Amino acid sequence: MNAQPIVQATALKSGYGEAMVIKGIDLALARGEVVAVLGKNGMGKSTLLKTLMGFIKPAAGEIAYFGERATGLAPNRIARNDVAYIPQEKALFQDLTVQENLRLALARDRDFAPKFERIRDYFPFLAERMKQKAGTLSGGEQKMLLIARALIREPKLILIDEITEGMQPSVIERLAGILVRERDAAGTAMVVVEQHVQFAFSVASRYAVLELGEIPAQGPTSDPAAAATVSRYLSI
Amino acid sequence: MADRSVSLPLAARALPAWRTPVAIGVVALVLIAVGSVTMPAFLINNLIRAFLYAVVAITVDLLWGYTGILTFGQSAFFGIGAYAAGLVFTHVGFSLPLAAGALAASVVAAWVVSRIIGWLAFYHGASPLYASVVTLVLPIVLVQGIYSGGEFTGSSSGLSGFDSFDVPLEAWFCITGGLLVVVAVLAWMFVRSDAGQLLVAIRENEVRCEYLGIDISRYKRKLSDVAAIVASLAGFLFACIQMVVAPEYAGFVFGTELVIWVALGGRGSLIGPIFGTILIDVGSAYLSGSLPYVWTLLVGVAFVVVIVAMPRGLGPIVAVGARRALPARARRKPAPMTFTVAPERERSDIGSLAPALSVHDVRKHFGTLKVLDGITFDARAGELLSLIGPNGAGKSTLMRCIADGSERSGGTVELGGTEIRKLAPYDCVALGVGRKFQTATVFDSLTVGEALRVARNRIEPPSRWRRETTLALPQPALDVLRLTGLDRMADRECRYLSHGQKQALELAMVLALEPRTILLDEPTAGLTKQERTQIGEIFVSLSSRYRLCLLLVEHDLEFVQQISSRIIVLHQGRIVMDGGVDEVVKSELVRAVYAGETHAAKDASGDDA
Amino acid sequence: MLNLLLDIVTTAAILFTVSAGLLIVFGVMKIINFSHGAFLTVGGYASVVVAQSGFNWWWSVPFSLVVGFLLGMAVERFIVRPLYGRPLDAILATWGLGIIVGQLITLAFGRGVQMVASPVNGAVPVFSEHYSAYRLLLVVAALIVALALGWLLNGTRLGLQTRAVIMNEGLARALGISSSRVRFLTFCTGAALAAAAGTLITPLSSVDPNMGVAWVVGAFMLVLVSGSSLVSLAVASVVLGGAQMLVSTFVDPVLGGLTIAVLAALLLRFRPEGFARG
Repeated sequence: MNAQPIVQATALKSGYGEAMVIKGIDLALARGEVVAVLGKNGMGKSTLLKTLMGFIKPAAGEIAYFGERATGLAPNRIARNDVAYIPQEKALFQDLTVQENLRLALARDRDFAPKFERIRDYFPFLAERMKQKAGTLSGGEQKMLLIARALIREPKLILIDEITEGMQPSVIERLAGILVRERDAAGTAMVVVEQHVQFAFSVASRYAVLELGEIPAQGPTSDPAAAATVSRYLSI
Repeated sequence: MADRSVSLPLAARALPAWRTPVAIGVVALVLIAVGSVTMPAFLINNLIRAFLYAVVAITVDLLWGYTGILTFGQSAFFGIGAYAAGLVFTHVGFSLPLAAGALAASVVAAWVVSRIIGWLAFYHGASPLYASVVTLVLPIVLVQGIYSGGEFTGSSSGLSGFDSFDVPLEAWFCITGGLLVVVAVLAWMFVRSDAGQLLVAIRENEVRCEYLGIDISRYKRKLSDVAAIVASLAGFLFACIQMVVAPEYAGFVFGTELVIWVALGGRGSLIGPIFGTILIDVGSAYLSGSLPYVWTLLVGVAFVVVIVAMPRGLGPIVAVGARRALPARARRKPAPMTFTVAPERERSDIGSLAPALSVHDVRKHFGTLKVLDGITFDARAGELLSLIGPNGAGKSTLMRCIADGSERSGGTVELGGTEIRKLAPYDCVALGVGRKFQTATVFDSLTVGEALRVARNRIEPPSRWRRETTLALPQPALDVLRLTGLDRMADRECRYLSHGQKQALELAMVLALEPRTILLDEPTAGLTKQERTQIGEIFVSLSSRYRLCLLLVEHDLEFVQQISSRIIVLHQGRIVMDGGVDEVVKSELVRAVYAGETHAAKDASGDDA
Repeated sequence: MLNLLLDIVTTAAILFTVSAGLLIVFGVMKIINFSHGAFLTVGGYASVVVAQSGFNWWWSVPFSLVVGFLLGMAVERFIVRPLYGRPLDAILATWGLGIIVGQLITLAFGRGVQMVASPVNGAVPVFSEHYSAYRLLLVVAALIVALALGWLLNGTRLGLQTRAVIMNEGLARALGISSSRVRFLTFCTGAALAAAAGTLITPLSSVDPNMGVAWVVGAFMLVLVSGSSLVSLAVASVVLGGAQMLVSTFVDPVLGGLTIAVLAALLLRFRPEGFARG
């Protein structure tokens, strides 16, 4: 029985040049666990995900995927470890079609049909828009496409960077439902970086507040005091 | 200007700056004079040619090694000089006045061609790739022109047999050697002078230079003009000595060889390219007889290996070896730089009632994507205005639109009452705005003092041959330096500064511009708590004591709350709220914006989804 | 008149074939491969080797493709890849490489000019005129190159990945695409194409160690003007190639040779995106 955490970060320090944005973080996720990383802007949330994904080499500390050392691996190697990443900006190929965007996420083209079938019901509108250029979809539809692209490869871990930004409340609700279903049915672990506390709490079992590159508070989302703790850190 | 009574002892200390180069130059001249009578004729012949090539190599090093402009075209200017002599002497005849005329013609022609190339390749926003291709095209075009000149230009065979100065070989040796020494010494003094630091600054960070008010395109064009004229001078002499001109001397193969010699000798060192050129050229004269193509092949291979593996060239390796072999000599440290207060400048806009910054209906779109829409606000001297909003709200875009006239798609921006229209960043600096970037962009290879001197460029043009040991800075800049301890680190290279120190240095550099308005892009990113507090105090002092107008983009809302006098909230390209700190912080609307509940925000700004 | 038109079309076709390889490298790697001319020359000499070995000229096309590809592998691995973060140094090193290749070829084959017999001789009747059969063949070759590249880019998985890398390398890597593999294969393909183009142009003129240089500046300019779009390259080839033809015919052949470089330089000065959609 593989009891190794899906991802584990130990004493992680990372940043740009000499500016240390992440100043010492420990994080571990087991199968089916979703942790919400909350914090105001500029606190290092995106940097954390970029470091986990291999875009930034950590200055200190270790990252391990499925028990194997992954510190310093290139992003495409990490991606092939069944890790899906949804960046905050420029996350889609605007000039490629919906289908091409989805195909790029898969290892083999012939997997496309069966893998899309699995998630088809989550995104009813996508099937009709396969040949459309991704840039012509509406904002909300583009975000849904991002989720579809992440889910289509049945990843073991998804890293999501502030996806609810600019989303309609109804869409946010649907998205939460999709993520919860994936989490429960497929055991997908997720690191959800957010500022939308309600959404984060509806999908995550744990939360961690990121402030100035450190985690001053974390715990289970079921804790009744959790929401209050988090709002304290997030309030203006 | 600086206090007269202080400048006298400084003048005495400025002497050593040029004493060394001149002394070495004199020694070299003596050696050349001695060599002219002792060396064998074959060697003298080759050295004459090599000296002239080395002069051109110096120009290539100044352009490429120091300033970062990769040029294959200096050979074209050499060819222009050579052909000016060849054409005049062949078709008109030879005499002293004619030679002077030909020389003048060569200088003028080189200057004109350089102006054209400068117009093509050096302008705000030009790509360095394009510039390099243009410099490659130049010698090709010139050579084609020569080929099509038929009898007049001698076409592919060139011109020969024309009359020239009747001077013995030894004299030519001294003349060309002397020219090389003079050019080398002048170049050396220039790169060591304060103005020479600008070259390095341009090479390292063009954008930062533009935002320091330096018109880098104009600088590059002037440098290129000087390089062209010097190269044409060398070509002119060459034709006078050899009494043969051929298209090969103007072609891109020669142009490439020059770059190769500079690369192998060590770009950006002056002495490396000089010796590299001489050694390789003379070496090939001796060796290419026995192994013609192999020699060129070896040089080519060495060149590629050096570019890939040893970008600083072979020169530094030799230098390190020499330093180890020679007895240790106490390196005389250059006189440390000190900072003084700059006198208050006459401000033409004092008394003007216009706000420091006035933004009216500014819009920005990328294609159909609207990033900014209808941004209107005024900011006055003494205000500390913070711009907040979620990611993608358009904050950084707005900053760019204020500092760069060509950024916005519509609307007007006024600095101190003057519209910026479509002015480039360096002109906007002249209108009184300074921009501090989010990632501290300083000049790694320069020292703290040198970087600040570059920042003062617009207000106090630096000396072209001296290295001043004092730098006058406005009080706010001095305050920043003193508060962060940078004033005692004037001679430390920027690359060794910590992140917080780089941020402070960049702020001091921007303050050195004496702006009325400062734009600060996430100034607290990556700072420690202590550094945040410190910089917060500095900002407050800048606005309240020095009456500057500060516009901050920030995410750290606690920081914003503590220091701002006014907050503007931006959301999806629009101003959602503009008011005092308490008002904004307590507003429900802003909470909603930050919690991602965009509907409330949209209703408020009168937008529909 | 018809002759002139055919000259323009065939010249455009030749320019396109010569520049296509350079374009895909520029699109993916954002650098101009200054050794492109050397690969053209290698292709030219490949056809010399084939001819001297007694084989049919047509064998030189696949032969040069293979030689170009292999040489491209070595160049990408040892010269271009280490210079990933230094684009100006990359073009300088590839330029140096071009010189090395030129010297090696000179050592192997001598400086002299060699002629390679055209595989197709004579002229074909086109409407009222007769026109060189081989030149018309080159138009077909250009079409084949365009279609092949188009199919590779749009119809294959690797092509999709390549287009993704051109658009956004970081995002492509985040999706698991090995951008270094894409760059490698792109460079090798570009090199192979350049060699094939070199082979194709040998029957038109002659083969000498510096034949690549004459074409390369025009190719550089065409690529800068086209960005990363094959369609723009086709348009640029027709427009600038046509201009070159017109100047050569009506003004001066030497000036004609310079037309592309000068016009492209001016165009880029005023419109840095060139022919590409803004």
